[in-house]
Amino acid sequence: MPLPPPPPPPPTGSPITPPPPTGAPLAGAPQIARLVDGGDVMVEASGLTKTFGDVVAVSDVTFQIGRGITAILGPNGAGKSTLFRMLCGLTPPSKGTVTVLGRNARRDRDVRGRIGLAPQQDALFDRLSAHDFVTFTARTHGVSDAEAQARRALGFVDLDADDPKPVGSFSKGMRQRAKLAAAVVNDPDVLVLDEPLTGLDPVQRQRMIALFNELAAQDKCLLVSSHVLDEVARLGSSVLVIAQGRLAAAGDYRSLRNQMDDRPHRIRIGTDRPKELGSLLIQRGLAQGVTVDVTGVSADTTDVDALGRAIAPLAVEFGAQLNEFSPLDDDLESVFRYLVEHRR
Amino acid sequence: MTGSVSPARAVGLTHRLLFRQLLTRGRVIALLLLGGVTILAAVGVAVSDDVDDAAVTTIEIIDGLGLVLVVPIVSLVFASASLGDGREDGTLVYLWLRPMDRLPVVVGAYLASLTISLPLTVAPLGAAAAVGGAGADGITATVIASVIGVVAYSALFVLLGLLVKNSIIWGLAYVLLWEGLFTQFSEAIGQAAVRGYLRAVLADLSDVSLSDALDVSTATAVIVAAGVMVGSIAIAAMRLERMEID
Repeated sequence: MPLPPPPPPPPTGSPITPPPPTGAPLAGAPQIARLVDGGDVMVEASGLTKTFGDVVAVSDVTFQIGRGITAILGPNGAGKSTLFRMLCGLTPPSKGTVTVLGRNARRDRDVRGRIGLAPQQDALFDRLSAHDFVTFTARTHGVSDAEAQARRALGFVDLDADDPKPVGSFSKGMRQRAKLAAAVVNDPDVLVLDEPLTGLDPVQRQRMIALFNELAAQDKCLLVSSHVLDEVARLGSSVLVIAQGRLAAAGDYRSLRNQMDDRPHRIRIGTDRPKELGSLLIQRGLAQGVTVDVTGVSADTTDVDALGRAIAPLAVEFGAQLNEFSPLDDDLESVFRYLVEHRR
Repeated sequence: MTGSVSPARAVGLTHRLLFRQLLTRGRVIALLLLGGVTILAAVGVAVSDDVDDAAVTTIEIIDGLGLVLVVPIVSLVFASASLGDGREDGTLVYLWLRPMDRLPVVVGAYLASLTISLPLTVAPLGAAAAVGGAGADGITATVIASVIGVVAYSALFVLLGLLVKNSIIWGLAYVLLWEGLFTQFSEAIGQAAVRGYLRAVLADLSDVSLSDALDVSTATAVIVAAGVMVGSIAIAAMRLERMEID
């Protein structure tokens, strides 16, 4: 199937409709994540484990992934890149199996021609122009009309095919786009994109996300890793959450987001009357626990919205001044930690 | 739209890519200067009144500088970088994750390093032999010994680039310590070093006696060099198949 024409940039702020919920289990011990919406299994891992000496990079991960976009979400060092490397055959698993299109990419030469990989590392053949790099990639994939396909792929990512500058002189964002062009030039069935939006400006991110959705609409299987929750939201995809090398959660993004929002939160409330306010939060059932200090209260709550709505009227009621209302645990690390702990 | 890549095509693609990657101005200038030292020494022989036999002295210079330093170091720089650079900087994935067999990739890398190393060694050493007055036999011996050396060393160092990080340091250790030092302690070690065979070819074809040269014929040296080449390339292909790619 030829590459589609380059998609027009989506209007800023346009919603990307997420796919309907797949029914795949979210956190709550999803030992086997099945993200196949009634179609073919494109990528399958079973008991996949990778250790480096005493360090366990990926631990007993099992999943099935079908067509469309699946985001692999996890903090830095969670094992996403190692998972991708095993999937592409670049490193063998210590235990378990992984197949792409039913085959092992490490042993099967032909299936390697059906994978497109944009690795995380920045290294490219620095002396080549983007056109030469992508054309070379096409040729090594056995693409018959390599030059033409390279031009199309470069057009996709907004790089000038006639620019003679070597990729070694490119900015990070341009290098990232050159990698993406190389990943799609062979029209692969399975695209493995490791942090593909890193280094791109907001307009380019929008454009790349539109491209990913376009490719997903062509029934490709896209695996996109990210450590940024908002990026995954915009991909509107199924999600596998990897934390500490383990599968922490799986499902469609909306379910996952709801679960993350439902977790207990810790909120910092700065006030001149912390003792009184802390007692009141407990009495009114707005917090399950509080820690009071001289400048404010740290409140544990499962309903941030309710707390947020109630806090101002409460302050008025007691004549207290408020100077801060901010989450203490809204970083991804804490979200992932919660999911991992919740899974046990 | 896609298909498998034939071995010949894979060799050509790899060769063309790595030739461009390897051929940096800095490397070429540095290694030309290294070859130039041999030419300068040969010029010294040619203009000196103190040299009894210019042909013999020139062959000794070719032996002591050319075969000891120029041939192995030029080969090391390009051959170890051919796949080793990609292994270390992460670009090897762009050759590995392809519908191509491993052997043609290694052969392409080997040929890319040969394409650069051969002129950078044979030309200055041949010129040194001519300038110094080694005579037709001496020039022929120099050229053939250099070619055999580059062919064998390059294969060995392509493999080295896939086996270890910092392959230049390991390669220098092999050249300077193993071939330069340890071979003096035992003939058995000398037989396990490429240099011994190159010296045997140089001595045999130039008809100049070189001290401690291996007593083997040119044909034997060619067979050994071919064995080193084939063995190294085969092991490198197996290594590429089984190694972990970053």
